[in-house]
Amino acid sequence: MSAPGAREGRLVDAALRCYPPRWRRRHADEAAELAALLIADGTPAASIVWSYLVGAAREWLAPRPGRSLSAVTAALLAVTCLLGLSAALVAESAPAKAAGTARAPSGPIPPTSKAASPRAGSPHQLTPCRPVLPRQVACASPVAGHWRLSIQGSAHAPSG
Amino acid sequence: MSAREQDVLRRVGEASVLVLISLADGPKHGYALIKDVRQFAGVELGPGTLYGALDRLERLGLIEPLPADERRHPYRITAPGAAALRIHLDSLERVSAAGRLRLQLGGT
Repeated sequence: MSAPGAREGRLVDAALRCYPPRWRRRHADEAAELAALLIADGTPAASIVWSYLVGAAREWLAPRPGRSLSAVTAALLAVTCLLGLSAALVAESAPAKAAGTARAPSGPIPPTSKAASPRAGSPHQLTPCRPVLPRQVACASPVAGHWRLSIQGSAHAPSG
Repeated sequence: MSAREQDVLRRVGEASVLVLISLADGPKHGYALIKDVRQFAGVELGPGTLYGALDRLERLGLIEPLPADERRHPYRITAPGAAALRIHLDSLERVSAAGRLRLQLGGT
């Protein structure tokens, strides 16, 4: 097993490798020495590593003369779109899984449920309806803290 | 140009202002800067924050690096840096005086 100092040094080096090459050429040696001095001073290595990681993220995102603002914006948009797409896929697969079990909730409304929000949690408020079979509509409504499921045989008027 | 427009430090962040104040009494390298800021402001500057502030101030021409002493690069404040710091501190002082005055008049 390696000495704690060596392990901390490796962590700091790994964090410094996250910086752009231009920054590393200029500051990496000095930053490693500064980290060693701070660790010797009693500063937790984790906070130093975290500070360098945040600094590296800022360096990459900061607009530079050689890197146009539009490139930075495009990178941010791409990351946002990927995250949004992943969230949408997860959200889309959740109702499909729920439909696969074909079970209406009958117990108390879980606190994480959408119906638990103040707006949807008001008594006798209907949640949006979803067709089960042709010309049949299932509606779930929270009544006195419990779900009530009703299936209507004909077309329905969606609740406002 | 208004005093507010002249104050180039109003958007650089607290860390950059603290670094500039620290350099106002002589050149320092990273470790000395962190220790000095901790001592006069009670603020713990992370090393990542420090290098971000140094880069920003250098790009603005408010500080400059001195020849490296072994692996350490000392920095010093430039004449425009000293002028910018003076303008910023004057601005802070005006705001601070207004705040104190209003607190007194408000009777809280």
